[in-house]
Amino acid sequence: MKPNTSRREFLHAGLTLPVAGLASSAAFGKATVLSRSSSPVATTPKLTYRTLGKTGLKVTAVGFGCMITSDASVIERASDLGINYFDTARGYQHGNNERMVGAALKKRRKDLILASKSDGRTKASLLADLDTSLRELGTDYLDVWFLHGRDRTSDVSDEMFETQQLAKQQGKIRFTGLSTHKPTVMVPFLVEKRAVDVVLSIYNFTMDKGMTEAVEQAGNAGMGVVAMKVMAGGFRPGTPRHAFYPQLTREGALLAALKWVLKNPQVNTTIPSMTDHDQLDENLKAMAGPFTETEEKLLAAHLERIAPLYCRMCGDCEGTCAKGLPVADLLRYLTYAEGYGQFALGREHFLALPAEFTSVRCQNCLSCTVNCPCGVNVSSRLTRAQELFA
Amino acid sequence: MNSWLHRSVVANGQTPSPGPPRLKTTPAAVHPLPQGGEGRATGIGITALGLVLVALAMASAAPAADVADCDLVSGWEQKGAARHFTPDNLYEYLDGAAEGYILYGLVQMQGVTCQSGRHSISIDVFVMNDAEAAYGVFTSNLDPHAPIEKLGMGGQVLLQRALFCKDKYYLELAVNSVNDRSAALRAFVLEAEKRIPGRSTPPAALSWFPDAKLASVRLIPESVLGLRLLKRGFVAHYEQGQAFVVVEDSPASAASVLSQLRQRFGDAGPAQVADEAFQTDDQYLGGLCMFRKGRYLGGFANMPDAKGAATQAAALAEHIPEK
Repeated sequence: MKPNTSRREFLHAGLTLPVAGLASSAAFGKATVLSRSSSPVATTPKLTYRTLGKTGLKVTAVGFGCMITSDASVIERASDLGINYFDTARGYQHGNNERMVGAALKKRRKDLILASKSDGRTKASLLADLDTSLRELGTDYLDVWFLHGRDRTSDVSDEMFETQQLAKQQGKIRFTGLSTHKPTVMVPFLVEKRAVDVVLSIYNFTMDKGMTEAVEQAGNAGMGVVAMKVMAGGFRPGTPRHAFYPQLTREGALLAALKWVLKNPQVNTTIPSMTDHDQLDENLKAMAGPFTETEEKLLAAHLERIAPLYCRMCGDCEGTCAKGLPVADLLRYLTYAEGYGQFALGREHFLALPAEFTSVRCQNCLSCTVNCPCGVNVSSRLTRAQELFA
Repeated sequence: MNSWLHRSVVANGQTPSPGPPRLKTTPAAVHPLPQGGEGRATGIGITALGLVLVALAMASAAPAADVADCDLVSGWEQKGAARHFTPDNLYEYLDGAAEGYILYGLVQMQGVTCQSGRHSISIDVFVMNDAEAAYGVFTSNLDPHAPIEKLGMGGQVLLQRALFCKDKYYLELAVNSVNDRSAALRAFVLEAEKRIPGRSTPPAALSWFPDAKLASVRLIPESVLGLRLLKRGFVAHYEQGQAFVVVEDSPASAASVLSQLRQRFGDAGPAQVADEAFQTDDQYLGGLCMFRKGRYLGGFANMPDAKGAATQAAALAEHIPEK
């Protein structure tokens, strides 16, 4: 790993971080003290900082998604190593996650940017959630407070945005945000409303250019952009596409996926989930250098590999089946069997379809009238589903 | 205190009935994606396997549908359509929190919302890969300040929500009220428990952790203590420090993992615990001792010093079975 020249130079020059107060001298001091650590990595990582939109906050390009982290030592060490953006939510593990994150970060709270989220739908529930978050996290303010998981414009209201502003006036939060899995829907709406300071959006290399356009629209409007699901979810064992996981790990595709996101300058920080020190060390490398041609080829090859097989469930199937088959549903059932190892579940769903559908055999059609914009070979995959389930 | 299970929150000296060890060290088996010309053969194999599995699936889905049912308690009616989610779309219902369920081995979720007058209760039934996974997701979601009751393998009925697990089913119930609705929640939970067949004993590993000053026990689905080598296991939090138990496939594989762990902690010294052990002081895991007993790996971390960790680890090792 490249030594952290830029950081050392920073220290030796006696400079502060881009925004005063974002990293204490104590934080710097601990970052290199790793000789007796649960991690084998004893070098200081290279950190890069970006500005979180108009908030002006300087955030490390790689942040930390705490959602599934179970051991506080990973979070604590990440903060020691210089990561300064940490994301949790009121709803994660019914509050147990916030409690753990708060305990892990209490020593250096003032140096960090702490974000949480609320599922609340009313002023009262939102404010109650916020107070609970503050208590569980052991802090008297959040740096960014998100409306959690809003994928339709009907999922938000003026009351919610006004509640966020009220919380800001009360000093309980510094900036407002909204998290979404549908940035193509929500970003244009948020930009027009000028409703929040930061958007937290899914974004990864498997997505179409509409997602990139949404991210750019948010960035151009001055909103801070935080990217989640940066490793496409399925890169983890136990989630979709986990059959690929060992190969992806071996090839360095996980790091490549993170670097792919970071190559978009409109993305200010990322929140990959991390459960162990090895993942932390690996993800830190994403800030050490640019996205390379080799990595681009690696991801392209992976996309090519999964494209004919993997239905992204985007719902953008072109055309309709001449036999009336629910194509997207059938592809999903196949994913249950082949992606998750849940054959029985896939077959159960298939058999629940009307007989007029379960009796269809795609190989009897001369040509398929459904086309996938992402490259899934629809006819072949449906035939596969019929072989497996019928 | 109304349950022997309460020991996992506040030590009381009672011991749960031991059951067969069910810890697993690897995620559920995965059907590999089709490779070239193997498709037909694989298809036949999977189809044959499917005939067996489909019966199991029917058996697992049936209780979920039976329990996600407003008729559990008279006076309640279903409001709106039933919910059904799988790992690929659970986020639509739970947002990012979905990953916490998927990580433990979610198969599917079925739910309904029930209404009685102005009150509503949502019932969500999570079907997991196995009973251990159900217990694991329960421990990750429970309120650590509230006692665990003997409801199935374990449960909690709080003021506005209830959760419990039985066999491979984990249930969450919640009300749309800020008032105490625990009576209604308890009525649903008790009826739901009756409709779910199968295992009511919690994992045997719970009984292995020393009782003194035990605060809580959780199943960690991956990377115990933040160490990838420790793939999946139980972690017990104490007033001071934390203990863990991980089950490997064999004594040889456990020895291999322990050896790699020892290398990771470069300056670790030997410890006299069980079959083999080491101790060290770590910047993040504090006083630390890890040992192997047969195919079991265990240890104590976050103690003031390594010696103290070794003492506690020895007490833990005594409770772990030989095989």
